[in-house]
Amino acid sequence: MLPRPPPPSAPPATQPLPATSIAWLASLACAAGAIAFGLYCFALQTRSGFVVTGLGNPGQGGGAWGLYIAFDVFFVGVSFAGITIAALCRLFDIAALRPVTRLAELLTITALVAGACAVMSDLGRPLHGLLELPNFANPRSPFFGTFTLVVAGYLFASVVYFFLAAREDAAATARTASQGRWFYRLWASGWRDAPSDHRRHHQVSFWLALGILPLLVTAHSTLGFIFGIQSGRPGWYSALQAPAFVVMAGVSGTGGVILVTLAVRRLLRLHDRIPDASIRWLGNFLWVLSLVYLYFMVVEELTATYAAPAADRRVAHEIVTGAFAPLFWTAVLSLFLAFAIPFSLYLRKRTSMAAVGLAALLANVAAVLKRLLIVVPSQTHGTLAQVDPPSRYAPSWIELGIVLGMFGVVAFAILLFVRIFPVVPTAHPPGGSPTRAERGWMRIAATTLTALVALALITIGITDSFRLWSGEETDPRLPYSPAIFAAGVMMLFSSAIVYEAFPARGKPPVAQVIRAGHRRVYARAQFRSSRDLRNRRQP
Amino acid sequence: MKEKGPTRRSLLGGAAAAAGAAALGASSSAAAGPARRWGMVIDLDRCTACGACTVACRQENNVPPSRPGPEHGGREIEWMSLLWQEAEGAGGLPIALPFPCQHCAEAPCVKACPVGATLKSAEGITLQIWERCIGCRYCMVACPYGRRSFNWEEPRWDGTLVQLLNPDVATRPAGVVEKCTFCHHRIRDAKQRAALEGRALADEDARRLPACAAACPAEAIVFGDLNDPESRVAQLARDSRRFRLLEHLGTDPSVIYLKRDRRS
Repeated sequence: MLPRPPPPSAPPATQPLPATSIAWLASLACAAGAIAFGLYCFALQTRSGFVVTGLGNPGQGGGAWGLYIAFDVFFVGVSFAGITIAALCRLFDIAALRPVTRLAELLTITALVAGACAVMSDLGRPLHGLLELPNFANPRSPFFGTFTLVVAGYLFASVVYFFLAAREDAAATARTASQGRWFYRLWASGWRDAPSDHRRHHQVSFWLALGILPLLVTAHSTLGFIFGIQSGRPGWYSALQAPAFVVMAGVSGTGGVILVTLAVRRLLRLHDRIPDASIRWLGNFLWVLSLVYLYFMVVEELTATYAAPAADRRVAHEIVTGAFAPLFWTAVLSLFLAFAIPFSLYLRKRTSMAAVGLAALLANVAAVLKRLLIVVPSQTHGTLAQVDPPSRYAPSWIELGIVLGMFGVVAFAILLFVRIFPVVPTAHPPGGSPTRAERGWMRIAATTLTALVALALITIGITDSFRLWSGEETDPRLPYSPAIFAAGVMMLFSSAIVYEAFPARGKPPVAQVIRAGHRRVYARAQFRSSRDLRNRRQP
Repeated sequence: MKEKGPTRRSLLGGAAAAAGAAALGASSSAAAGPARRWGMVIDLDRCTACGACTVACRQENNVPPSRPGPEHGGREIEWMSLLWQEAEGAGGLPIALPFPCQHCAEAPCVKACPVGATLKSAEGITLQIWERCIGCRYCMVACPYGRRSFNWEEPRWDGTLVQLLNPDVATRPAGVVEKCTFCHHRIRDAKQRAALEGRALADEDARRLPACAAACPAEAIVFGDLNDPESRVAQLARDSRRFRLLEHLGTDPSVIYLKRDRRS
């Protein structure tokens, strides 16, 4: 059971930051080692070219895409569940999920960063990519979604959500932390813990959650479209790709949240703050989503083998009974267990953290293998006009090393964060709609202005990226129009920050007082606001 | 896809026609009928599978030589190669198809490129801007013909080979995708020469313009403007033996093959 939320009049229970433990240090060192090894492998690849990978030309029987693209899709997929869980928790007020929301959001952000690393590792000229994508990115290419919607829109929206949801805890930590207070104060950005703050955040988080969900489905669909709309590649060309990518993202992401939650709970001994009930909820999500994906796989295989064109059948047979059969059947078995283990727990009304953890791990094994099975066989065995016989793609140790480095990035960021910030959100009293006075016309005006400018940037950026005004020219008319579009999407989500953190009139915001350097004034301001809080609650 | 209404080009042409004599001087090129569409007809009856086209292409376009060793396998850069197919019926020899980029009118690679590094020229050639390519290789997986090659490492011309480089064509760095350009530098050159002589580019100038067509001893490869009904290539393209590769995909390739009739 969840601990009851503290009574409204008591100050929020401040969560102490964990002490530096040997286990934490050792984990951090392992993660740093993985990053260092990944960077070393990346340096080798940059120096020698992609000849050090196992990739090859599809026309000559190889796969031009391999582990990097599979893990790009995997990491972006893992990111799916985190922010979805946070959004669902807010939209439907699922109290049992609240303790895991911050870890889930954190996993979303770190996994997206790892996904961006995967894309960068895959580019033959990463620096050119950084320079040319903001300038020339073309929305007609499904990659546009990966570069703008996923990285700019979805990552930024997640960061905004994460930032706003943690302001309250940042303000609380700023009061108790022994060092680095400036960081928490900056994060708190004027949070006074007044009822109006809570009400505004309650309102903003609802609309943000509502806005993030469709963006998320769109972003994951664009990943599916990278494969699904290529008619020249048997095995890829399917309307099922986009929805299947969304569901598989849910499977691996829920598994990822379970694994991270269990690991952090164990490492920091947070059993009293993250109850089993939260993880049971995640287990239930996992079996439902795994079951849906199993259904998708049956549909997919039936379509590809029943009366499909010869090339599609060839690829499907190669996957099910041919060279890829060991990978395929491992994926099927893992996915089945990821469904069966939590489902049996659900039926027997039991709770076993070890079993749910195993299911979560297997879900991710299945996700990685399935992504490889989507990416590779259609290239090595699906080429319609092939000069050389197909060869089997085997990743080189350099590719594996770079992927290990990406896992290192995720682990390092999470470990660092849980040490310096409370990972379990404080259960605060439910908010409500802010009153007219609490909104204030200045706040509304600033938010509206931000949103309108953002919409203008989005319109200008996307139309020019589509080369609608270019006439006979092949390039956009404005410099950096894809970047303008991405900036517009980011600004639109920033309007939530403007609304929530716009300085309130009357009382000076805490952050300003602190910036003047008067700690005692700051303490009094806190006191004043909490007294004010009590006064307001008693009519 | 073909019947998607008036294109920008046809609209421009229509506007120019409506404007009448006043506009004729300014937009004579737009009013002069459909633009060129460069294309190639490869007669498999004539082809002897000698491979001269592949060598000439390599030489002309500075395609780096393939290197021995397992780490280079499946990573050869090929603009033009031979695609071997089993012959229909018993007793026939396998057929070799000289296999350049098909220069599809509806090119999947052009749609896939995220930065516009690959594009269709006004005359129907699928071009690749090496300078802009970021090396994501999406065009390679999108191309159903597998006619795009990635520079898996820095190209190398050992010893005296470097002296054989063609100064008309830039070499490509590691990390970019490259492909057949229908020798567009030769087309440009021929156009300039014709302009110096004060005439338009004629069909005779174009027939054996690309290096592969020039090198073919059997004259199996004919090049020209498919939109000009009088050109040799357009006449051959109407032959009853005509077929195009993977036509069911709707890519509308500009390379047309003539089926082998003789059994030899």
